[in-house]
Amino acid sequence: MIAPINDQPALRLSRVTKSFGPIEVIKGLELDVRRGDRHAVIGPNGAGKSTLFNLISGMFAPSSGEIMLNGQSIGGLAPHRINRGGLARSFQITNIFHRLSVFENLRIGVLARHGVRYGLFRRIARMQQVNEEAAEALARVGLEARAHDLAGDLTYSEQRALEIGMTLTTGADVILLDEPTAGMSREETAQAVELIRSVTEGKTLLMVEHDMSVVFSLCDRVSVLVYGNILATDTPARISANREVQEAYLGQEAS
Amino acid sequence: MRKLFLPIALLVLLIVIPPFMGIAWQNALVNVLIASLFALAFNLLIGQAGLLSFGHAAYFGLGAFAALHMMIAIDDGFPFPTPLVPLAGAAIGLIIGLIAGYFATMRSGVYFALVTLAIAELFHSLAPRLEDLFGGEAGVSSMRMPWSGIIFGSTLEVYYLTLAWVVLCGLALWSYTHTPFGRLTLALRDNEQRVRFLGYNAHSSKVIIFAISAMFTGVAGALLAISNETANYSLFASDVSAQVVLQTFVGGSTIFFGPVIGAAAFTLFSFLLSDVTRSWVFYQGLIFVLVMLYAPAGIGGVLQHHIRHRRQLDWSRLACPYLVAILGGVLVAAGVVFMTETVSILFGEEYAMARQATAGGLPSYPLFGIEWRPVSPLTWLLPLILLVCGVAVMVRARRRIDALWGRMDESRQVTADVAVLGGAT
Repeated sequence: MIAPINDQPALRLSRVTKSFGPIEVIKGLELDVRRGDRHAVIGPNGAGKSTLFNLISGMFAPSSGEIMLNGQSIGGLAPHRINRGGLARSFQITNIFHRLSVFENLRIGVLARHGVRYGLFRRIARMQQVNEEAAEALARVGLEARAHDLAGDLTYSEQRALEIGMTLTTGADVILLDEPTAGMSREETAQAVELIRSVTEGKTLLMVEHDMSVVFSLCDRVSVLVYGNILATDTPARISANREVQEAYLGQEAS
Repeated sequence: MRKLFLPIALLVLLIVIPPFMGIAWQNALVNVLIASLFALAFNLLIGQAGLLSFGHAAYFGLGAFAALHMMIAIDDGFPFPTPLVPLAGAAIGLIIGLIAGYFATMRSGVYFALVTLAIAELFHSLAPRLEDLFGGEAGVSSMRMPWSGIIFGSTLEVYYLTLAWVVLCGLALWSYTHTPFGRLTLALRDNEQRVRFLGYNAHSSKVIIFAISAMFTGVAGALLAISNETANYSLFASDVSAQVVLQTFVGGSTIFFGPVIGAAAFTLFSFLLSDVTRSWVFYQGLIFVLVMLYAPAGIGGVLQHHIRHRRQLDWSRLACPYLVAILGGVLVAAGVVFMTETVSILFGEEYAMARQATAGGLPSYPLFGIEWRPVSPLTWLLPLILLVCGVAVMVRARRRIDALWGRMDESRQVTADVAVLGGAT
């Protein structure tokens, strides 16, 4: 496979470290996420997956090292700046606006994409473009029937779908999903996988996932994170055949 | 159209009736309007943004002083129309709101409340010492100057000026909820972290919300100054801040017009009762506690709940238990009032003097036009019986009401309870 010359990775982390007090959680991590890939991060509990996501999305600033989004350094920027740079994330624990309608949840994201941040002098009902896009987002995640219900009243898997929808509305081309299928039944997981596949078409996806069948069916590449370092990055098939990985992670899971 | 009927009818009444009222009532209505605007502005923070400010007296007071200084300037020949004086309050509220809000909204929850409280206390302690700005302990006074034929001499003129400003500001605050930023405000209340990760600057958004709230609060303060033609540092006191919190919660902070109900109820309550009994503040506190315990959504919440279900309600069956419940409420209120007044008399100064006159005995005392003896069992049994009967009646009525509502819940289709300040799109 020959990559175009100007094809810089969507996301590049070099020598990134993060310490909480004396504990170093991320230890000089190197990771490239290629543009257009669906890339999974797997690893045992406590390996630093959530910390990694929080560093990339701006919840925490890295202690050292560099994080590049589309060629721009974003390490240590505020979350809203990173979002405006084209990266959006979902959370491991569902993170939506519980007391707003489903439609309204999505519309807040659409407004952000349109740069309407302090819109005080127009009626939102008349903002046709925004409302249409919110309706489109609603359709994309299959929640049309629940548009006017409170988000807090949705079922768990509907809330996860809504959160993925919100993540997309901001127009980001790099999407981070933190365990999007955690806690779902097999059937719900299959639906979620299809949803993620369709909505990340043409975008770059980085996701934390425990379910290897999800990783196999969805992702182009897999990185294994163990004790704050990337052990290996490769295709799912080769990763599962990798002896080192099996010992560090997969074997441990099986036992 | 039908949604507009009630507000328009209310507005017509507010325009037509006051000329036929006495000055005391006109004045009371001015205070109701000012308290309503204050509570609406305050509720922008707690009801919509989820920020509980314990120091809104600061912006109320600043608005009042700004208006007075503007009135003094007009008196000295500054060509500014008197009806626009509240703009001075709005301007100072906005400016100080931006500065204070910048610091206060760095934190949320308890820390936010404490910072706002501290800022208000800062003004409260500084004001008596800043002679030029706040007129020392005596405060600042001025006169309403005539403007293009309107003298602003009568209470009625002040009333209409206040009404115009409160209606305009109320409409502006209502429109706010229909703007993109208004929707973002609700999102911030629900989940600030999510807002940040969607690309919004949560802090600067909160600063603006705070400043807008302070601006409208400043208008309310300015209207008070226009009405009273004077103000002193006591406007910065914590009880002014507390009052608006109580009014907003009693009225219902989750409903846009809820705070108006609370503000009107409390203002009229103090107008009607402050001359009759000294215990009115106690009754007010009691009402607050009862509302929080038994109707946490406030009076407005209860009303809204009934209006929303008015079609499913079987009023022919409900009317009776509702009346019984009201009767029980009256009995309880009578018992509480009797007890409270008795206690306040027996431990009051006058009674202490009466006791001295009778060399330490327990003389009888007048209450509700009857003489009562403190040692007679009747004096204590009567309120007790009233209380017990009232509570028993209310408990029974409530059970019946709950049963009727429960039957309705089963028969109707379950629909999402989308509050006005929730998912309405």
